[in-house]
Amino acid sequence: MAEDASLDAEFLGQEGTNVTGFSRMEAAYGSGDGDEQAVAAVASAHNAEVGTIFEQIYRPWNGTLNTRWVRNWSILRHHIYGMFSKGHRPWGWPVRISLLVLLLGSMNGLFLSFLGNAIGMEEITRLFAPSRENLYAHVLGFFPRNVFCFPIAAALLVGGMISEDRKNGTSAIYFSRPVNRTDYTVMKFISVAVLLSILIIGTLAIYYIGDLVLSGEGWAYVLDTFPLFFAAGIAGFFLVFTYSSIGLALSSVSRGKFFPAIALLGIILGTKFIAFLISQLYDDSIVYLLSPYDCIAHLGQKMMGISSTYDHPYTWSLVAIIIMNSISLYVLTARVSSMEVTRE
Amino acid sequence: MSQENVVETINLVKSYGKHIALDSINLKIKEGATGLLGPNGAGKSTLFKSILGLISITSGDGIVLNHNIKEEGPIIRSKIGYMPEYDCLNPELEAIHQVAYSGELMGMNPTVAMQRAHEVLEYVGLKDQRYRILDTYSTGMKQSAKLACGLIHDPELLIADEPTNGLDTTHRDFMLNTLSQIVNQGGRSLIMASHLMNDVERVCERIVMLHKGKLIAQGKIEDLKAIEREVEVHAWGGASKLEECLVDGGLKVRRTGRVLRVVHVDDSTYDQIISAASKSKCQIRRMQDHEASLEDLFIRIMETLGYGIKSSDELLDNPNIKHVDAPLELKNRGLL
Repeated sequence: MAEDASLDAEFLGQEGTNVTGFSRMEAAYGSGDGDEQAVAAVASAHNAEVGTIFEQIYRPWNGTLNTRWVRNWSILRHHIYGMFSKGHRPWGWPVRISLLVLLLGSMNGLFLSFLGNAIGMEEITRLFAPSRENLYAHVLGFFPRNVFCFPIAAALLVGGMISEDRKNGTSAIYFSRPVNRTDYTVMKFISVAVLLSILIIGTLAIYYIGDLVLSGEGWAYVLDTFPLFFAAGIAGFFLVFTYSSIGLALSSVSRGKFFPAIALLGIILGTKFIAFLISQLYDDSIVYLLSPYDCIAHLGQKMMGISSTYDHPYTWSLVAIIIMNSISLYVLTARVSSMEVTRE
Repeated sequence: MSQENVVETINLVKSYGKHIALDSINLKIKEGATGLLGPNGAGKSTLFKSILGLISITSGDGIVLNHNIKEEGPIIRSKIGYMPEYDCLNPELEAIHQVAYSGELMGMNPTVAMQRAHEVLEYVGLKDQRYRILDTYSTGMKQSAKLACGLIHDPELLIADEPTNGLDTTHRDFMLNTLSQIVNQGGRSLIMASHLMNDVERVCERIVMLHKGKLIAQGKIEDLKAIEREVEVHAWGGASKLEECLVDGGLKVRRTGRVLRVVHVDDSTYDQIISAASKSKCQIRRMQDHEASLEDLFIRIMETLGYGIKSSDELLDNPNIKHVDAPLELKNRGLL
């Protein structure tokens, strides 16, 4: 028995024991028949020893909980980091790949400008340089960006943002904690807006700065074009805000990913299509006030000094945007208020 | 609020329009484990939401862990761990990340939350499964993961809403043992809502009963059960005569065939039964104390109140309800 204890001590690496190598051999090749020490080690709740597989002990935690803004940051972090790494909100691979493709597609201006510089064709470089029209088109051009890129990206992002919390009951995880509904809504909104901003305003900045670096223009050029870039950025902000608010309102009234995504595309592209048909029939642009995209485009044209393609005053478009966002935010807050903790 | 009360409400009323969900609730939940009982629609969920400070109460007042439910909801929620009855887990997340995130939402540092998530998942028996996606979990494992989410910040008070819902015997035993251990070893308080009386009896030493938004009973299970104490008599040859004699002697008797249950008034009850048996020439084959289970007590109260009653007031007038330790204000009104 004493010999067995010595072998165990050796195997466990205890100090002061002779190294015979026997127990290592035993561990490696199983040279014994396993009955040398015919005593089973049984798991016990109070006197666990070597051989215990699971012992349930309640361990207290005496740490300090951080403030409201740390909690809010965790919501933001959960959604944004989830796009890039594991362990946060699980964005599906189709969503991630689609967004990557849309991101690269949104930088076609920079790629073509780079191509022009690389092969020395000044016509191409000038054609894709950050001019008034190009900067406008980067954010508010209908085809292809506001047909294929931005609405689809917004639809992919807002799809399950709130609806899945309702569907999975995860709203209980939020609201049974010291997270209030305002913080929850604002952080969800900012999460979508940040991701959408990377696509819209981020690529605008990359395009503008990248082209400056590629073309080697001086300060005079920067001073000339920066106000246009800034105005395009503001227009991009309106676009991000409006798409996010409408999308999240739709997400808050739903229980799945599909409806909010399709409904957002339907609202953005459907209103545009109907307004286009009516304007062609009756030669009147007033119906464009129903289209979120056209209202922002109208405002963008005014901000960037581009001749308007609409007949009605731009202030009407501004009012229409405010009304659309107000309704969306009202629906969003009302629906988030109705989210349950005890059952969903 | 006295120091040992974790929850105390004073005339707490919550109404949704004309519907009164909680009607003048005077609750005193002491430290330790307390079971919350009541049929569907009794007001359990509304009470939880009130305790968590999530809904504005119509009138009255409430103190939870020395904080006012009207003004200090976020502080209360930071001290409470809530385990919901229904699914509340993101099925696409791994358990470890779900639990860590629930800690971060409490305000824990991400690194600390992750470290603690490992600890609590081990504690609830999910150590080896913590990196599995929650969608692949069984019902029992999901319940354990929900418990881990509630325990991550080591709350002073744990609210478990139907913690054994849908669990098989093994998982149910484990869950109940874990909850008991949280109270006995961890020194935390527990409010456990359940429809399963045996579960409540196994974990809790006190109960609170709600019915139609009213507080019907609260107190120690043993005390409440003692109120329903009966003497069980197995009679032979003349059970109906014995019953008559006992009733004539002023005792309350329930009879099923040859088995009679006589309400225990005091120690003289035994003598009265023997005298009645002698008088009615009935043979007593066996006589023993019958201690009601919590389920018996619950059924008895519900039978007395009736499941389809319109208001509790009319039924609280019923003298049978005097058996139960009911709110002080009802006693003062002479109803109990």
